Amino acid sequence: MNYTNQIQEIATKLFAEGKIDVFVGYRQNLFDENQVPCLVTDPADISKLVFTEKSVFNLSNYLKFEHTRNKRVGLVVKGCDSRALNLMLTESQVKRENVYIVGICCEGVLNEKGEKAQNCVECVMPDAVVYDELLGSPTGKREYLVNADIKELAQKGLTERADYFENVFENCIRCNACRHSCPLCYCAKCCIDQETSSLFHGANTSSSAMHALMTWTLHLAGRCVDCRNCEKACPSHLPLHLLHKQNEMVIYENFQQHLAGMEKDDRGAFYKYSMSDPDDFIM
Amino acid sequence: MEQLLVPMLCTVDKVIDETPDIRTYRMKMKDPDLLEKFTWMPGQFVEFSLLGHGECTFCIASSSTRKGYFDCSIKRAGIVTADIHSNVEEGMDIGIRGPYGNWFPVDDIKGSNLLFVGGGIGLAPLRSLIQYCIDTRKDYKDFTILYGARTSSDMCYKEEIEEWKKDPSLKVFLTIDRPEDNWKDSVGVVPKILEEVVKPEIKNTKVITCGPPIMIKYTLASLDKLGFDPKDVITTLEMKMQCGLGKCGRCNIGSTYVCKDGPVFTYEQMKSMPDEF
Amino acid sequence: MSFSIFETDKAGLEKFYTEVISKNETYAPVEAFGKFDYKRVSSLSECMPDSPIQTTMSVKPLFFPKSAKVMKFREDSSGTTLSDTDQDHLAGKRVVLGVKHCDARGLQVLDAVYKWDYIDLDYQKRRENTIIVSTRCDKADTNCFCTSLDYDVENSDAHDVKIVNGLDGKIYIKAVTEKGDILVKSSSIQHPASAAAPEEISKHYKSFEASFRLKMNYTEINEKLQKQFDSIAFEEVSKNCISCNTCAFICPTCHCFKISDEKVRDNGVRYKSYDSCNNGYFTLMAGGHNPRSVKYRRWRQRSMHKFVYYKERFGVNLCVGCGHCAISCPVNISIFDVVNHVANSPAVLQNA
Repeated sequence: MNYTNQIQEIATKLFAEGKIDVFVGYRQNLFDENQVPCLVTDPADISKLVFTEKSVFNLSNYLKFEHTRNKRVGLVVKGCDSRALNLMLTESQVKRENVYIVGICCEGVLNEKGEKAQNCVECVMPDAVVYDELLGSPTGKREYLVNADIKELAQKGLTERADYFENVFENCIRCNACRHSCPLCYCAKCCIDQETSSLFHGANTSSSAMHALMTWTLHLAGRCVDCRNCEKACPSHLPLHLLHKQNEMVIYENFQQHLAGMEKDDRGAFYKYSMSDPDDFIM
Repeated sequence: MEQLLVPMLCTVDKVIDETPDIRTYRMKMKDPDLLEKFTWMPGQFVEFSLLGHGECTFCIASSSTRKGYFDCSIKRAGIVTADIHSNVEEGMDIGIRGPYGNWFPVDDIKGSNLLFVGGGIGLAPLRSLIQYCIDTRKDYKDFTILYGARTSSDMCYKEEIEEWKKDPSLKVFLTIDRPEDNWKDSVGVVPKILEEVVKPEIKNTKVITCGPPIMIKYTLASLDKLGFDPKDVITTLEMKMQCGLGKCGRCNIGSTYVCKDGPVFTYEQMKSMPDEF
Repeated sequence: MSFSIFETDKAGLEKFYTEVISKNETYAPVEAFGKFDYKRVSSLSECMPDSPIQTTMSVKPLFFPKSAKVMKFREDSSGTTLSDTDQDHLAGKRVVLGVKHCDARGLQVLDAVYKWDYIDLDYQKRRENTIIVSTRCDKADTNCFCTSLDYDVENSDAHDVKIVNGLDGKIYIKAVTEKGDILVKSSSIQHPASAAAPEEISKHYKSFEASFRLKMNYTEINEKLQKQFDSIAFEEVSKNCISCNTCAFICPTCHCFKISDEKVRDNGVRYKSYDSCNNGYFTLMAGGHNPRSVKYRRWRQRSMHKFVYYKERFGVNLCVGCGHCAISCPVNISIFDVVNHVANSPAVLQNA
């Protein structure tokens, strides 16, 4: 999968026509084969832009920051990235007219070991769902698969699961990299950072880690697109996808097979009311 | 380190409402031994803990020449200060760590005329110095106090100011931003009144000024214009401080630690620091 | 004063480690979720003490933990009482295995600020009671640049025992300090190294030194950076940053912390935990004034503090060239690239 030339051409054209102020894409890392985000403001830097199966980071994340706010942005998005962008558009974080979206029909990205990443193997929508221009040939929506690790975890007893997650929370250092790299965590001041929330505030203990991670998980329920920015950002390599994929499965099964960001104006699972919503828990 | 962060317990003796959003808390140490030993120089600060809510940096607003208590004047500006205003009453226990920081150079300013320029809550650290100098009067020459606030009800220490006005050895100038009925003193911002009404003598005069950042900025510019040497202008710098011990890294400006090398600096020293504040 | 140098082989080294673990409270790199961190071990099979295992958190948390209780307090109708917390479980006599030279140097750098003025007694105790065993890296990792800075890597005295995999196939166990000497002498490996040992250890160093991808002239960079406070280059290098706290938390020398209280009804605890100057709220004051609300200012503070201010104040560089930050950063920003780029940019004034 290589769209380097096309992306460079598109970026050149957009700058030449004065349509954008900044183009957000990927560039090669200086010290290994990985790629890092690249915010191009000077057309002379366009030659740095690349796109291959190593273009992993969800670039919609950069629409949260000062470099793109109130500017006209050109952006490269794969399937999952575009679903996050869809949600950001619906949730009024980005103005559609300010973004020129280069959508990619993704063939899957590689993880550190050089294999196809798990979320790509289980991908539900590889083609960009919102775009101004689409590169590649669309292959359409795929069958939803329950995450392999969730299936395995479901086999374990509650005590075993509790111990496993206690170990996870113990290793969390509360660096907040997960939150800062998630495009859908755009709150100017996170509820966890509020000084009034004395339960979360401050200490990097494993109980505060549990509160922080579980709150984050619930705030992303029905909104997570499984781009794995969070997991890759985590310095302690915590298996954060387990938290989100569990919610995704529950929501899929109970709320009319809802998956985040698939449609325009998607407002998440909990903003719609349907007669078939589960109500067996209501007396 | 952990031991260094444990506060001493104090009891709030008196709560005085200075203005709609400023209160003075008069405190004394619970431990009578500490009460004897706790002493500070004007300009130093303490870390005031409302246990369970948070800890804040406040300067000590009274002089240790007046024994048995110390004052902290607190403006309701953020979350912990709002909690302090709502929760702290007479008889309550407060945690205090300190005193930290350097202090006003009381030895260097001996034998000089002193010009105190304060604005709003900035009179609090100045009051500690003013009381100290009044109590050691013979070491200094003439005193002039210029104090400005937004309105007359925003003035702190109203009773004490009346006493200063009665003292023939002090020249007191007050100013508010806009005219009010029954206001007999000046009207205008502090730097303007400094230039037009106070018209200070430069020779052998040291200026000590504290107040909100914007007032300081323009006051320093006025003092420059009037011809004061930056070495003779002393002020306090506001940067977020947390541990007070030079360890937590919050108050660094360049290689200066505001909690250790400050918060008192001369204007000359401030000019040599990176322009971050 | 010269201390013991022993020579052995792989089996002998394993024996050495096993003995140390059985006789001392020992910490070593232990795997969790595919990466390593220093945890307490009770057998060699639990850990991998041969550095260079790239640990996530460096050895700093054993001396300056991510979260520490300062005190407990209780406020009820009878008044307020403060009480001590539980005993410091990091203060006992212990040995840490597999510490890289850069991490050990990081502790020496931290000593400067913790022994300054108000002395941090807890940190002091942990330092005094710990014996650090280091294996010198055979070759540099892609992001390392420890040999380019202001300390002598070859003759570093930051660790107590140095283990070198000689190019001649022998493994040298060299005591560097008195504490280390006692540990080494107490092992059953009592095979003094041959007269060729110092030369072999030196040969190993030369091969290690030659393996670096990253090199810089530290004195030049330090001098140039001092003039770059207003440089527009800080804006360029910080563009990708997402302002999480990762780099500061995992850095072996970053030491910023915050104090916070947690209270449930009558009882509470005061904690001291990691903080980072890259955090958007680090300099936020009551009333809303925030001198470093803009990202490039935080990056300016971070890089200048690491390479200029701390050196000015304490005489040692705050960065030890370990490369942890570049690897753990979600977008792989390397402080080496940052300081080199800024130092070598033409000094252009920021428009505030």
